[in-house]
Amino acid sequence: MIEYFPSHLIQNFKRSLTFLRQFLVSVLLLGTLLGAEKTTLHLWHPMPAPSRAVLNDLVAEYESLHPDISVHMLYKENEEVRMAYMSATGFTEGGPDLLYGPSDFTGALVEMNIIKPLESFFSEDELAAFDPKGLTWYQGHLYQIGDELGNHLALVYNKRLFAEVGLDRPPESLQELIEFGKKLTIDKDGDGVIDQYGLVWNFTEPFFFMPFYASYGGWVMDEDQNPTLNNEAAVKAFKFVRDMRDIHGIIPKECDYDVADSKFNTGAAGMLINGAWSWAKYMDSPHVDFGLAVLPVNDETGLFPAPMVATKGYYMNPYLSGEREKQVVELMKFLTGADAQFQYASRLATIPTRFEVRERPQIAEDPVIMTSIEQVSRGRAMPISPQMRAIWDAMRPAYQNVLGGSMTPEEGAAYQQELAVQKVAELYEGQDIDQDAVNISAILVYLGGLILVIWALYKLFVAFILPLVRGIPGVQVQESRFGVLMVAPAALFIFGVVVYPFFYNLVISFSNMGLTTVNDWQIIGLSQYGKVLTDSQFYHFFLRTVIWTVVNVVLHVIFGVMLALLLNRPLPGKGIIRVLLILPWAVPSYITALTWRGMFNIDYGAVNIILNKFFGIEPISWLIDPTNAFIATIITNVWLGIPFMMIIALGGLQSIPQELYEAASIDGATAWQQFKKITLPLLKPVMIPAITLGIVWTFNNINVVWLVSNGGQPGDQTHILVSFVYRAAFNLYRYGYAAAFSFMIFIMLALFSVKFMQKNKATETAY
Amino acid sequence: MVKIGQFLMKKTSKLQYFMIYTALFMAVAWSIYPILRVITISIRPGDNLLTESLSIIPDDWTFDNYRKLFTDHPFGTWIWNSILVTATVMLTGVTLASTAGYALSRFRFPGREASLFSLLVTQMFPATMLLLPLFIMLSSLHLINTYLGLIVIYSSTALPFCVWSMKGYYDTIPYSLEEAARIDGASRFMAFYKIILPLASPALVITALFSFMSAWTEYIVAAQVLWYKEMFTLPIGLKSFQANMNTEWGLYAAGAMIVSIPAIALFLFLTKYLIGGLTLGSVKG
Repeated sequence: MIEYFPSHLIQNFKRSLTFLRQFLVSVLLLGTLLGAEKTTLHLWHPMPAPSRAVLNDLVAEYESLHPDISVHMLYKENEEVRMAYMSATGFTEGGPDLLYGPSDFTGALVEMNIIKPLESFFSEDELAAFDPKGLTWYQGHLYQIGDELGNHLALVYNKRLFAEVGLDRPPESLQELIEFGKKLTIDKDGDGVIDQYGLVWNFTEPFFFMPFYASYGGWVMDEDQNPTLNNEAAVKAFKFVRDMRDIHGIIPKECDYDVADSKFNTGAAGMLINGAWSWAKYMDSPHVDFGLAVLPVNDETGLFPAPMVATKGYYMNPYLSGEREKQVVELMKFLTGADAQFQYASRLATIPTRFEVRERPQIAEDPVIMTSIEQVSRGRAMPISPQMRAIWDAMRPAYQNVLGGSMTPEEGAAYQQELAVQKVAELYEGQDIDQDAVNISAILVYLGGLILVIWALYKLFVAFILPLVRGIPGVQVQESRFGVLMVAPAALFIFGVVVYPFFYNLVISFSNMGLTTVNDWQIIGLSQYGKVLTDSQFYHFFLRTVIWTVVNVVLHVIFGVMLALLLNRPLPGKGIIRVLLILPWAVPSYITALTWRGMFNIDYGAVNIILNKFFGIEPISWLIDPTNAFIATIITNVWLGIPFMMIIALGGLQSIPQELYEAASIDGATAWQQFKKITLPLLKPVMIPAITLGIVWTFNNINVVWLVSNGGQPGDQTHILVSFVYRAAFNLYRYGYAAAFSFMIFIMLALFSVKFMQKNKATETAY
Repeated sequence: MVKIGQFLMKKTSKLQYFMIYTALFMAVAWSIYPILRVITISIRPGDNLLTESLSIIPDDWTFDNYRKLFTDHPFGTWIWNSILVTATVMLTGVTLASTAGYALSRFRFPGREASLFSLLVTQMFPATMLLLPLFIMLSSLHLINTYLGLIVIYSSTALPFCVWSMKGYYDTIPYSLEEAARIDGASRFMAFYKIILPLASPALVITALFSFMSAWTEYIVAAQVLWYKEMFTLPIGLKSFQANMNTEWGLYAAGAMIVSIPAIALFLFLTKYLIGGLTLGSVKG
């Protein structure tokens, strides 16, 4: 009996979530769906602008051939399209009919059961027309039909800059790469700052490091998908990249994707290692005489650097059936067909997956495609199992620590292996659980939830329903009704939106929901909370988050109030000054934060140049050193947050009667005394809500940290709690863990706010 | 009534003016420099995020990116969509916050403290974790691809601060004003609407600006809810110029500048009222 009962309860749990949803449906059934007589097929894709143009033309052609069908395309970035597809298809059985993406989506999508096997829709002859590399099989099923082999890195070089130093061909070995690089590294004006680098590339990112690792004989995983990162090859490859920077000086000290891209594209770098997706841009650049070469052979081992090659192609939604399914298959066949592939290849120099297209003269004789195909033949297929994601996440901090100097190459190699093993385990956590413990904790959680709901309903009744019916003691019934009715609309709005997501997370935080258990998760009790609290990183990042919050909010308030005081007087030009000061709030932060990141660049960033010119300070490596990177994020966020506090303070200053100042100054009070005795206390009721909320927002502000530090770099050391949970949990699909982690953040903030409000009597100041 | 300006002006000497302007000038330089960089990117040909030159206007400047926004992309539609959504959110925000804030400032009902605190509580949960359940909820309510879903979510994100801020401001307005109005025969609501609300205009301005801004630049929720390019709001439209390692920086920067123009215009318009509320402060004290 006991064994049957709890699983029944778990069912109830899921059912009550569904019930809550349906309840809200009946409350808010106002939605309209776009109705159409045509069948609209949805396609989501992460294609960058040049490929998007080709896709648009192809779809237009398809629609004119099939007047009853309209195809709707939606672009999202690579990671975003994957996440959005998972939410829409994995959690609501909706989503687009077709998903386009690289083959490394496959493993995770199969684990979540949200893509359809395709082998039954294609005849053997049809499949034989494809390069086998263009068809993605996983665990015995065909899941993806590729229209392109891509994402491989190769060596792009600027023939014009090569000619300037007397070179007429690309390097043919890594030794030569360094020699050529030295020739191309030039300080044109002799001011000690290098104006042209020999080689640039996004070398801090493991994907861009992989070819070198492979050229020393290393690879990311063995046949059983176990990470293989701690070996001689890793140590040598680490040293190789580090030496290029520190000993040979042919690559910039600091170089992320955008630095490399901008430098090469403006003719400030001789060579660039970049992927197939980027070449079209350089062909068009007026500063670049485009040349493409395979990554040169490693003299020491005789091996060629092997970039990872991904198939790009179409996945199909598993919830399709009948007529619609047929239409979708037909569309997929069209988009991966010979004519479509020819379009891509001839316009963008991509590598078609169909042999026949590759043999067409226009394609076969294209020099870029020829080099590209040669590079692919030296490359290796990007692993498609979910473990790959864990391995990237493990390599990144280790590699960046080596580059930053806080680890030796040997330590780095050992560390990345250790991290990778741990993260792979985390990816598959929650599969083996003790069923007895699960049953008991399910009952406890269920009872706890029940009590919580009853308590909340009771509170709601006492707070709102009772005053509505009987009135508040000491106040007329009519009056108290008026009060409740004034609050009710806002309260309904806010809690209508928040309640379901909140309880959803609460339930999930007690569960083992993860990559392999999305569809059949169970309540397992408090173990996710245990994991959070026993992780020493949690405390480390907590401390950092506190520092981040305090420094930010204090500086926001001080500068905001100061500026408001300066502006709160008649002043010619005041209107314009006020608008200029508000600008950091008005311009979207996702672009200004990136601009700040650019301004922190060690050589060319405005911050270092200004510090050097006016204060004679030596260049500071803002983005490589973890502490400096953290300071850089704080500076950016201070800049972003001042205008808001300034406006609040300006508004608050208006509530202070000027007569008070007049009286005070007649009594001989100094300006400082007036500020302390009049301005501050009277500003408080308006400022305290803003400060309290400012603290909460800053504590949970993921955007600025993410954009300025490029996702916690260097080496995942620049995180605050929210960005850490985002990186650690969402990259590895640890939904249960992430929910528990978030609840810890929530509880800490709630406890803090209670204390803070008691201390400041925030709600009662004026009386 | 003595104009406050005249009174203060007597006290500000030339030296003080000089110091004030110096301080403000430095603040302005600090606040606009990064934005000037964005403008530089937007008028530079070729998609480069970074440059090694410090000059604001590049030699080969062009307005090409701005032109492309409107010729190659439905940017005008996106602006209109955004205005529609944002204006609704702003109206909802101001209306609901001004009433709720008033009740929370003036009435002592049992749920008052709890309400105030729970407003704050809604802001404490990491927003990234709310996305998935929000999507599930909207999807089962058939609110995907509608503005209604977006508006409800935006309003509810903006409201907690707005309510608090309104309440804080009402707290500084003395009771005696409404009492006088009540004695003259005004109803409870009329007293609020005719007497208190106009006095609270600085707070209304802040509320309006805040709800506007929280909807105007939001893209994470919008990207989940809207699937049709024709329905996009400005920020997701902008996001579509961004690609992992293949961003069209010129268009992106130009779009960002255009996005900020209505925000600046609104701010210019609203500042008039930011200063309007002080006439009756004298009753207090």
